[in-house]
Amino acid sequence: MERREFLKGVAATGAGVALSGGAGMLSMAQAAPGKEDFGEIKGLKVHCISETSWFDNATLGKDIKACGGINTYQYNVDWNVENLGGYAALVEVEALDGKITKYLLDSGWNTEWMDYVFAKDGIDKMLKSKEINTLIISHDHIDHYYGLESTLKHQPDIKIYFPGTSMKESFALLKGADYSKKPGQPKNKYPHKGELIVTKTNQLYKLQDGAALVFFDAPATLQVRGENVLYFKVKDKGFVTVTGCCHPGIVTLFNYSRRNFKDGDKNYGCYGGLHISPFENWDPKMDDLIQGVKALNMKKIACNHCTGWIWAEKAAQMGLPIVKGTNKNLSYKKTGTLSKAKTSNVYLGNGDDIVF
Amino acid sequence: MSTNNAGNNWLATRELIPRWPVAISGLANLVALLIAVFAIWWIFFSNTGVFKLYTPLLGFSLVIWTLLIILWQAELFDFWPFQRKFLNDANPLAKGAVFTAITILLYLILVIGIVYFVIGQLGVTYFNWHSLMKYGEIGQDAISTRETASWAMISLSVPFFLISVWFMLGIGDNLFPELKQPKRGVAMLGLIAVIGIVLYAIFFHPHIGSMFYPKQIYAAVPPWWQGFAHTNSSEFSLGILFCSVIGVFYAFHMWDGQPFNLVKKQPWRFIFFAVVSLILGYVIFQGQLLIFNYLWDEAYAGGQNEMNFGWRYSHTVTMANFVLVIAIIQNVFFGKAYIKLPGIVRGIIKTVVAVAVGLLFAWAYYKWAPSLLGVCEGVSHPSENAAAFLIMVINLLMIQDYFMDGWPGYKLKKK
Repeated sequence: MERREFLKGVAATGAGVALSGGAGMLSMAQAAPGKEDFGEIKGLKVHCISETSWFDNATLGKDIKACGGINTYQYNVDWNVENLGGYAALVEVEALDGKITKYLLDSGWNTEWMDYVFAKDGIDKMLKSKEINTLIISHDHIDHYYGLESTLKHQPDIKIYFPGTSMKESFALLKGADYSKKPGQPKNKYPHKGELIVTKTNQLYKLQDGAALVFFDAPATLQVRGENVLYFKVKDKGFVTVTGCCHPGIVTLFNYSRRNFKDGDKNYGCYGGLHISPFENWDPKMDDLIQGVKALNMKKIACNHCTGWIWAEKAAQMGLPIVKGTNKNLSYKKTGTLSKAKTSNVYLGNGDDIVF
Repeated sequence: MSTNNAGNNWLATRELIPRWPVAISGLANLVALLIAVFAIWWIFFSNTGVFKLYTPLLGFSLVIWTLLIILWQAELFDFWPFQRKFLNDANPLAKGAVFTAITILLYLILVIGIVYFVIGQLGVTYFNWHSLMKYGEIGQDAISTRETASWAMISLSVPFFLISVWFMLGIGDNLFPELKQPKRGVAMLGLIAVIGIVLYAIFFHPHIGSMFYPKQIYAAVPPWWQGFAHTNSSEFSLGILFCSVIGVFYAFHMWDGQPFNLVKKQPWRFIFFAVVSLILGYVIFQGQLLIFNYLWDEAYAGGQNEMNFGWRYSHTVTMANFVLVIAIIQNVFFGKAYIKLPGIVRGIIKTVVAVAVGLLFAWAYYKWAPSLLGVCEGVSHPSENAAAFLIMVINLLMIQDYFMDGWPGYKLKKK
């Protein structure tokens, strides 16, 4: 037995359990040996249905602070309903034979807003016709999951990938629970009747050739844990991640693919929230992150939502390939205060597309 | 802490005796401590409690400064202005109430009054979250500014803590032997502040200058440690300096003050004390990082949670505190059970017990604290910092030992 393995063994039975807390963290040291080859796709297009989970940071911050701060339980908070939007993305995968398959990533928060953006992009029709027949819930945070009803009302038997670490209320919502007595809390009049795949740590779920889902048991705010992350291997280009919030961290995701996937060191791009500075504050660790992401040598970084304009702007200044948005979001019936204030277009906004 | 260098300091001259057999007295104190811990946590800190101070940094800044004030009262000011008669004769509960009230009052004056209100409003913006919101732009909101200001206060406390420990235990009353209280305490505190502020400016201010965008490069140099610490975060400085403080506490609670007590004559004792504490701190810090690397593999720039260099540096402090809490409980509650053992054997047994039970404590904390204390689940959760809870426990241990003479399990031996 090598010294390192021996020490790992010792640590795992004693100090290790204490140091790591045994609380379901995804440890790179525990990554499965061997490299997974889940095939390739020809191309990938992601359409931003909505990245404006809320429209004003300060208002959301007040709601959270009034309930005790960022560690509070998300189902206990009274939310300012006027401020609520939601996060959802349409993921279109082109297989090597040219066949297009569409996946819905997340179902937003405020059902009124989600119904509006779904109608605007024809998502409602795609759900009704089963052109989209799979919903992937990245995690059960307010803004990614509370709007479940907006999806299920069109297709209650849709196949759902759902994080195993979700709160008990979130599981109950699938079955038709109603928490809407408190403002901004969800209800669901359309109980889920389709296949439910509850995802577990360290398991890879192959969606189709070249597309996979991995569940990371990463911590998040408001007592939420765990996130489903989408990986795509685009032929002749490399790996692309598509995330809701990217709570495990973008560098961690690509480190995971490097360790676990065949050709995993070929990074190509990413789409989604990167959860760096959702409230636009700065920290020296974010400078570290710019250096870390730079080292990944990605070709396209399409970020929005919880990434933080501040980080995206600075990353663009530092030479990272941040894909610019088109200002389509300004034509929506509601626009975030930051979108109005910022002209740098470093976010891929509502209505924008990115092709990998 | 028995300093062996405190001369006529009340703590050095008092003798505590168990009311019952040591095991029963220790257990009684443990029960009293647990009741106090849960009551204080749920009233003041828990997210579902009344005051919700565990944000987590606000709660952390509060408990670290109150601990420092408790130590100053006992070790620097020798309980001034109270006379020996009061210290000898007063009911331990009354003494506990009086000195705890003084601690809170001093916290309000020094930290909230001087640092937060005066300096934060008239000098340094980042010590006052309302000033940050007032002058700041996007991103300086109610939640982030409170955490920024709390981080600044924690950062300021660390060099104050290190220098205080050096002065209280490495110098004691050797520096101003001719001065009586409160002059000696004030003189020592003045020196601690002068050196502490210089160290703060070097080891922490660059971090805070980089907490805003664009970096405040005309007020603070960019973090100079980035090249070898692999992070811009001053958690690197915090880890080493705080582990140095913890190392001193280890020595006095587990090893009868060794190796610090090897040198008695000044100024060599002070120099030896400072150098050895830094070496010990670095060993505690670096040793844990090696274990982390084995558990989680190497951290990387930009890694999140346990893969982040800064988080790992902070986590060395957290883990060292798990062991420290057990070391203090073992020493002040059950220390008399070891009294007949030879010094080396005593030190070895105390160390093995503290490390083993400390790790068990850590495991139990991360497993059950979410339900028992209402904290977030996950060892590297961004909203979780167990050190805040642990330092609160140490606060209560110090109040029980210093202010209440070990009540209920122990009492003062009347002379």
